[in-house]
Amino acid sequence: MTFEQTKHLHYQLLALTGEVDLHNSPQVRKQLLGIVESGNSVIVDFSALSYIDSSGIATLVETYNIAKNKQLSLTIVGATGAPLQVMELTHLNKVFSMIDSLDEIKG
Amino acid sequence: MKRILYVEHSACTSQLCQIRDKVRETCHFLGYSETDINLITLVIDEACTNIIRYAYSGEPGRIVLEIYRHENEAIFHLQDFAKCIDKSCLELRKTNLLEPGGLGLQIIYQVMDFVQLLPPEGEVGNILELKKHLPKGSQK
Repeated sequence: MTFEQTKHLHYQLLALTGEVDLHNSPQVRKQLLGIVESGNSVIVDFSALSYIDSSGIATLVETYNIAKNKQLSLTIVGATGAPLQVMELTHLNKVFSMIDSLDEIKG
Repeated sequence: MKRILYVEHSACTSQLCQIRDKVRETCHFLGYSETDINLITLVIDEACTNIIRYAYSGEPGRIVLEIYRHENEAIFHLQDFAKCIDKSCLELRKTNLLEPGGLGLQIIYQVMDFVQLLPPEGEVGNILELKKHLPKGSQK
């Protein structure tokens, strides 16, 4: 798993590539919590993500809860295949803001 | 009951990727759809994660995965050699998605048709048995 973090005007984008599991989800957690703790909304790009387990999902849930308390947002973009199936299975696709493309983001 | 796969791995998070690859390969061989392959792979990964986290509590150990074909089902046995756990550990408690914990177990129950703990073969260890109906075309 690799990730790339880029700053935008109204949010920070974290693009994940490969597979997120218990082995590497602590790295993802550190990045995500760092973004929201510093007062930024976050968009997590799933376009190149091929797998995510419940430890990765739990990290997203934790980030979502912190972001919400700080009146920030967490959005997931480009989820397909296995990661989208996990989101649907856990019904978190109805909790998180999920979009198909970054074109849907204003600013 | 015909055994399709036997693999033994260290109970270490770095091994999860290899276990998933074996599960994907075997499920493909058994004729599951891409959707089912993804979900079954996730389930086995979640079960292994629980063994590493809770049965061994991060201490060194082994995980044995066996996959069998029996009539219209695939049967998955995940064995560890840690202290025996109580059956109540498999009870589904999670009610709120946004609270931590329990998501892996919820996924296991949602995807599989049958989930149970088998009696241990010795004084230590646990065997988790999971069953999933085979797709119609591949039943023998």
